Amino acid sequence: MVELINLSWIIPLFAIVVISIIPSKVKPYVAVAAVILGSLATGWLAVNALISQVVDFAFYAGTFLGNVPIRIDGLSAWFILIINFTAVTGAIFGTGYLKAYQNSSSKLALHWSLFVLFHFSMVWVCILQNGFAFLIAWEIMSLSSMLLVIFDHHNSQTIKAGINYLVQMHLSVVFLTVGFIWVYSQTGSLSFDSIRTFFQTNSNRWLFLVFFTGFGLKAGFIPLHSWLPHAHPAAPSHISGVMSGVIVKLGIYGIIRMISYLQSDFILLGEIIITLSVLTGIYGILNASVHRDFKKMLAYCTIENIGIIGIGIGIGLIGIGTQSPLMYFLGFGGALLHVLNHSLFKSLLFYSAGSVYQQTHTRDMEKLGGLFKSMPKTAFIFLIGAIAIGGMPPFNGFVSEFIIYSGLIEGIHTDSIYQIMLMIMVLAGLSVIGGLSVLTFTKTFGTIFLGQPREIPQHKPHEVSTLMLVPQYFIIAFMMSIAFLPQVFLNIIKVILDGMSHPGFIDSISISFYSKTAANIGLYSLFFIGLMGMIWLIRSSVMKRRRMATGTTWGCGYIAPNNTMQYTGKSFSKPLGKIFTFLLIEKKRFKELKPGEIFPEKRNYDSHYLDFFEFNFIETITKYLIKWSGYFRFIQNGRTQSYVLYGIVFILLLFLLTIFNIIR
Amino acid sequence: MGFLLAIIAAIFFPGIILRVKSTASGRKGPGILQPWKNIRVLLRKGSVISTTTSYISRIAPVIYLSTILCALLLLPFPGVPPIIAFEGDFVLFAYMLALGKFLFMLGAIDSGNSFGGMGANRKSLFSMLAEPAFFILFGSMALLTGYTSMQQIVESIQLVGYNSFIIGALAAYVLIQIAIVETSRLPVDDPNTRNATTMVDGVMILDFSGFDLALIQIGTLLRLAMYGVLVANFLIPAGWPVLTRIALFIGVQIAFASMIGLIESFRARKKLSKNPQFIISLNVLALVAFVLVLLINFKMIGK
Repeated sequence: MVELINLSWIIPLFAIVVISIIPSKVKPYVAVAAVILGSLATGWLAVNALISQVVDFAFYAGTFLGNVPIRIDGLSAWFILIINFTAVTGAIFGTGYLKAYQNSSSKLALHWSLFVLFHFSMVWVCILQNGFAFLIAWEIMSLSSMLLVIFDHHNSQTIKAGINYLVQMHLSVVFLTVGFIWVYSQTGSLSFDSIRTFFQTNSNRWLFLVFFTGFGLKAGFIPLHSWLPHAHPAAPSHISGVMSGVIVKLGIYGIIRMISYLQSDFILLGEIIITLSVLTGIYGILNASVHRDFKKMLAYCTIENIGIIGIGIGIGLIGIGTQSPLMYFLGFGGALLHVLNHSLFKSLLFYSAGSVYQQTHTRDMEKLGGLFKSMPKTAFIFLIGAIAIGGMPPFNGFVSEFIIYSGLIEGIHTDSIYQIMLMIMVLAGLSVIGGLSVLTFTKTFGTIFLGQPREIPQHKPHEVSTLMLVPQYFIIAFMMSIAFLPQVFLNIIKVILDGMSHPGFIDSISISFYSKTAANIGLYSLFFIGLMGMIWLIRSSVMKRRRMATGTTWGCGYIAPNNTMQYTGKSFSKPLGKIFTFLLIEKKRFKELKPGEIFPEKRNYDSHYLDFFEFNFIETITKYLIKWSGYFRFIQNGRTQSYVLYGIVFILLLFLLTIFNIIR
Repeated sequence: MGFLLAIIAAIFFPGIILRVKSTASGRKGPGILQPWKNIRVLLRKGSVISTTTSYISRIAPVIYLSTILCALLLLPFPGVPPIIAFEGDFVLFAYMLALGKFLFMLGAIDSGNSFGGMGANRKSLFSMLAEPAFFILFGSMALLTGYTSMQQIVESIQLVGYNSFIIGALAAYVLIQIAIVETSRLPVDDPNTRNATTMVDGVMILDFSGFDLALIQIGTLLRLAMYGVLVANFLIPAGWPVLTRIALFIGVQIAFASMIGLIESFRARKKLSKNPQFIISLNVLALVAFVLVLLINFKMIGK
């Protein structure tokens, strides 16, 4: 076991050295090999942790940290497996995606060594159980991902997004550090176990909320989400896929980890999280529906799914508080399964969006259209991802959403009128989220892949290379296995949840009942696909005997239609935007026609949507921050003399303080 | 049973609507089976396929019809269990229908004219707004009866007491309205209009023809009948003998069909921009049902 843990850091370090010296053509393959080997090492440990025993030991890390505990329990194992799968597909996809950069050796060397480091740090975030060591791994993860985001660093927008990400991630670190120091000040230890000791003797809610803020910044709960819509579009697609699929989930990992130490205040915290999550979900998908940059739309959609996961977590917390094992199981089980599901279909969507970007060099869906004909495989992959992310059967998204719905319905059967009302409202909210995501993906898929190209592309788009398609097929196969055999995954989740709660809390009877229900859903999905195939066969056999003709689309009598007359994505979401004007702030730039203007000149019309929280709060705060820090600008005046003076003042101050015994 | 009843209802339902409409406007009207005769003609016809379209518009009608057939399998009828039933199956029911709508809308956009997108946009907006009403309704029913499977809900709803009739009636009303929204009937959408810019469903099928169009139309008829069965379930007491219930079922279906026919004869379509308000008011009605359930439940528990 220890050897495998050691391998998991030796392989990346070795790979980084190798990547920097070999020719750039081979670099990606070494990186892929390193990621796969590292994944096998930690994956083996994780599988072991799920099947038999928790991997648990400590290593000595100097006098300050003492013994750093390393533990892979069910929860860590689940996230490690998710990280490994997504990182491997991301690396393989990235190999194909970055083919065009084969000549910029330094760029590729940096990129791939960072990718290996990034994968390694994510896994270690899940393993380390000491506050300080955890923060180090966390920081390596944030920094390496930030550098991966700014791959295209000649673009000022990308740099801006990278800095935005960097700042927000450090805000998150501030909260986490405060949390760990708080625990340290009360218990004298930084290990995760001391958090439990802290919760046993102190008020639970405040420390948990500090940690929740820190991890929530990573996960993207509103109003802490504003880095996502900037960072995801800026990054290369395989990075956005891994970030959205996994990094964001590590915020969820942190939250669930902290929950496993909680001792009281379950119901209150559950209610806070569930309310925030519904709002996050609705807000995320509302924004996703109006944006025309399809990667930005996917980023907002990630926020929506974090909301769905959060609903599951909230149900689970209320389940602990009300002593309802079934709610606990359905809530956390749904959340964990949705973490897996979302990491699959979101990386799938980002990869196929990346394929579109690689071929068309635009992220603006209003310039695209009709890509189904030139990129049929990518289009089908995107369609499957869209159906899955909308939570529709027969794919895996439905399974986890169904479990969360079941948790909500289970929560209705209680005596507490407040809980009933909350559950019904969340039920309605979740159904709105579902409806909106159907709308969003109809718009996105319809605009990008259907109809005809809205602008003549500079290069004719082609289907992407097999290297990029294969990882996507793997993801689809995995998704199908969840859709048809959900009971297998539910049983794994039961093991995890058993390890998290006190023994005997989960009652197996009602839960085995749910795995039967899940099996029913799997069968139903299979039946649906069978029925569909049957009708399709009937249709094709009938069609063979019918007279077929082709013609242009009927334009209601208009005989000279052109491509710009198709329905745009913007007009698709406009009626929705009109209903929610209070949340979706639209900024338009155009010049009005003057009254006396007989021959109008050429005009531009520009409209885009702003993020409500970013526009109203974050920008106001930053504006005042910049204004106030401007008053201290005189300190940094560029004159060496003043800097020497500062040094002298500082030494004098130290001297005086020591003399008067104020510091010792 | 629910499956069979829905199929039977689907055969006569649209004809009754047509008959009522023609009688109301003073015409003799076609036979009851005329809509199906039209579909038979379509099934035999060849198709014209637009050069703009892709594979999506070929598979869309197939998937649309299969989702509705699959949803029918879950349809409850008291006393006779449906082919598949499990806890929380109404979620599957709603999401299955959503999948059908999704593909139908994509098929409409695939034609590449400006109308397909227009219809799809309205369709998705309206059904998104109507979704919570369905969930609040079934959530309240789950609260009222203590069960979460549609079959058990409709079987035990009358056991709650006399108050349940109020709830049953309210639920039936909300479901009728949802059906009107989902199948694009008046006052949300006028199935008879010839003005493409104001249509919802009608404009989405512009570029389907022949066999594909027939599949879509069968799907839509089945859908209407499916809602009819659901409505009937809330109105017919589960305890009565099966034959009486089937007779009552026929009565309810005819009443439902005539109601739709009468509404379509005497009402104008709402302004399209007013439709969201109308649909949101359905959610309010569903909430009223929820509050009623709360009142009943907490009086009985004694809190």
